[in-house]
Amino acid sequence: MKVDETIALLRQGKQVSEETVYTLCLRSQELLMSEANVTRVDTPVTICGDIHGQLHDLLTLFDKSGGVENNKYVFLGDFVDRGFYSLESFLLLLCYKLRYPDRITMIRGNHETRQITKVYGFYDEIVRKYGNSNVWRYCCEVFDYLSLGAVVDGQVFCVHGGLSPNVTTVNQIRAIERKQEVPHEGAMCDLLWSDPDEVSTWSLSPRGAGFLFGRNEVDQFLHCNGLELIARAHQLVMEGYKEMFGGGLVTVWSAPNYCYRCGNVAAVLRIEDGLSREYMIFEAVQAQDDVGNAIIPTKKPQMDYFL
Amino acid sequence: MDRAVQETDYDAFSCKVSAIAKHYLPRQVSGKEKEEGEFVQLHMAYAQGLKSVSRRAYSKVDRAVQSAQPVMNYGTYLRSVAIDEAIACFLKEHVKSGAEAPVQVVNLGCGSDLRMTQMLSQVPHLKWLDLDFKESVALKSRILENNPLFQRELGPSESVETAGYLTNRYCLTSCDLNDIAQVAEILKKFTTQDCPTLVLSECVLCYMKSAESKALINCIESFYKMGTWISYDPIGGDDSADKFGKIMQTNLRESRHLEMPTLMVYNSPEKYAQRFNTAPHSTSIVTMWQYYVQSVPDEEKMRLKTLQFLDEIEELEIILSHYILAEASWR
Repeated sequence: MKVDETIALLRQGKQVSEETVYTLCLRSQELLMSEANVTRVDTPVTICGDIHGQLHDLLTLFDKSGGVENNKYVFLGDFVDRGFYSLESFLLLLCYKLRYPDRITMIRGNHETRQITKVYGFYDEIVRKYGNSNVWRYCCEVFDYLSLGAVVDGQVFCVHGGLSPNVTTVNQIRAIERKQEVPHEGAMCDLLWSDPDEVSTWSLSPRGAGFLFGRNEVDQFLHCNGLELIARAHQLVMEGYKEMFGGGLVTVWSAPNYCYRCGNVAAVLRIEDGLSREYMIFEAVQAQDDVGNAIIPTKKPQMDYFL
Repeated sequence: MDRAVQETDYDAFSCKVSAIAKHYLPRQVSGKEKEEGEFVQLHMAYAQGLKSVSRRAYSKVDRAVQSAQPVMNYGTYLRSVAIDEAIACFLKEHVKSGAEAPVQVVNLGCGSDLRMTQMLSQVPHLKWLDLDFKESVALKSRILENNPLFQRELGPSESVETAGYLTNRYCLTSCDLNDIAQVAEILKKFTTQDCPTLVLSECVLCYMKSAESKALINCIESFYKMGTWISYDPIGGDDSADKFGKIMQTNLRESRHLEMPTLMVYNSPEKYAQRFNTAPHSTSIVTMWQYYVQSVPDEEKMRLKTLQFLDEIEELEIILSHYILAEASWR
C-alpha cells in the first residue's frame, strides 16, 4: 500500500479497497500501540474538535489552517458517525499520521466505539459501501488503540469529553488500560463522555454516560496538574468554540453545519509558542481544487426532518 | 409538489414505527397498559397492511425505520405525546361524563394517523373526520378495509366512494385543502357547526402557501362556533444568526422537491401564533424543546434515556426548538 496514493484517493472521496483498509489499519495499530495514553505535544499546534465524517469540511480545515505538510495537529476525537464520509475522514487522518507521525495526534472520542457506531451511522456506511462489515471491524480495532488525551507543552490538557471524578492527576490517566472497547462507566468512559456545566460539583449527565463538572473541578484539576487550559470537544457550539470558567476550559467544535442541518460555524484552536491562543473560524463550503472544481462530487444527502 | 407533500406521510409513519420499534412510543402511563398494547397492535397492523397494498410505500417506511437515529425517535415521541395530550385536554373540557353532548375532531391532512381508532372507542360521543389527498385517502381506506382489527374497531364502512371510509361516527374522505369551497362543502356535509370542534393539523400548514393557509384557517374558524386548533409544524427561526430554517428549505427542495413556503414567514412561536385569528390569551405555543424540558415527567425522561445512547443534547435542542405545537381556541 502506498500511503500517498491512498491519500489522493481519499481526498477525492473515492473508495479504497478492503485490502488497503486492512493494511492501513494494521500499520496504524502498530504505530498507535507504541503511544502512551496521554501524548506529549509541542507548540505550535492546531487543536481540532469533532469531525463526524464531514470530509469536505475536514479538507477545508486543513486548507485554512496551513496543512499537515507544515503544521502539527491534535484531533480531539469523533472522527466518525453522522456525516456521510466517516470512513474517508478517519482513514485520511490515519494516512496522514503514518506519513507524518509527529504531526498528527488522534485522541479517542465517544463515537470511536463499536456500540455507538452501530447506532449513529458508521456501521451502516461501511455496509452500504462494501456490502459487509469487515472494514468496520478493522477500524474498530484501531479505535481501541487511540490515545485518551494529550498535553501540549505541559500546559494544555486535551481530551474529547472532560474530567472524571476518578481522575485527579494526568498520571492516573497514564495508568488506565486503554486498549479495549470504551466501558459504560469509570475513568475511561468519563474522559470521553463528560461535559462542563454551571454546576457546583459532579452531577449526572443528561447523556446517560459520563458526568457534568463545574468550575471547581476544572480549577482543581488545572492547579493539581500545573496546567493552564483544558481543551475539549464533544459538544456542538454554534460559534465554533466556547471558553468557560475564566478561560480555564474551551470547547472546540470543527464540524460546520453539523449533520448538514444545524447551521453552525466551526473552529480550530491554534496554540503558539508561549501558549497564546488563536481561533480560526470556518464555514461549511464545498472544498475545491486549485482550479475551482469541487474535490468531492456532491452526493446530496437526504437529511432527516419531521415532516 | 402535491406528490412531494403526500409522500411526507411515509416519513411521519416510518418515524412512528421506528419510535415504536425502539420502545419510545407508546408513552408509559400506569393503568393504561391495555391502550398501550392496542396502540402498538394498530400500528403494526397498519404497517402490514401497507406492505400488502403498496410495496413501494412499505419499502420506504422499512428503510427509514432501519436508519432512524435517537434524535428522530425523541422528536417523534414528543410530537406524538404532545398532540395526544392536547387532544386529551380538549376532550376533558368538552366531554362531560354521562352527558350526551357530542364533540368532533377534524384531522386535516390525516395521512396514516391512526388516532381516530382508539379515540373513537374510548369516547362514545365523538365523531371524527379525516381529510387528505385523494391518493392518501385511497391508500388508507384500503388498508383499513382489508384488516379485521380496524374493521372491528371502526365498524364496517358504508362508503359508496372507492376511496374513503364512512361509518356513523368516522369519515375518511378526500379533500383539497387549497380549495376552500370544497373544504366548506365537506365540513357542512360531515360535521356540525355548533358542536365543540377540535381541528388538528400535523405538518400541514407548513406546506401550504401563505394565502391558502390563511383562507383555510379563516374558513374553519368562522364555520365552527366553538373550537380549538392544534397545529404541529416546523418554524424557521427568527434570529438572523439562525440558519436552521434556510438550510432546511434548501435541503428539502434539493433532496425531494418539497417546499415550505411559510417556514421563514411564521418563523417564531410569536409569529406562528399570528396564523390564527384567536385572541392572544387563548393561543398557546410551545416549542418541542420547551415541551421536553417542562412537560415530560422525570420518570419518562429517565425511561427514554435507557432506550438508546443520546449523544448530542445540543443538537436535540436545536432541532426541537424549530418545531412547535400551537393551541388556538375560539368561541
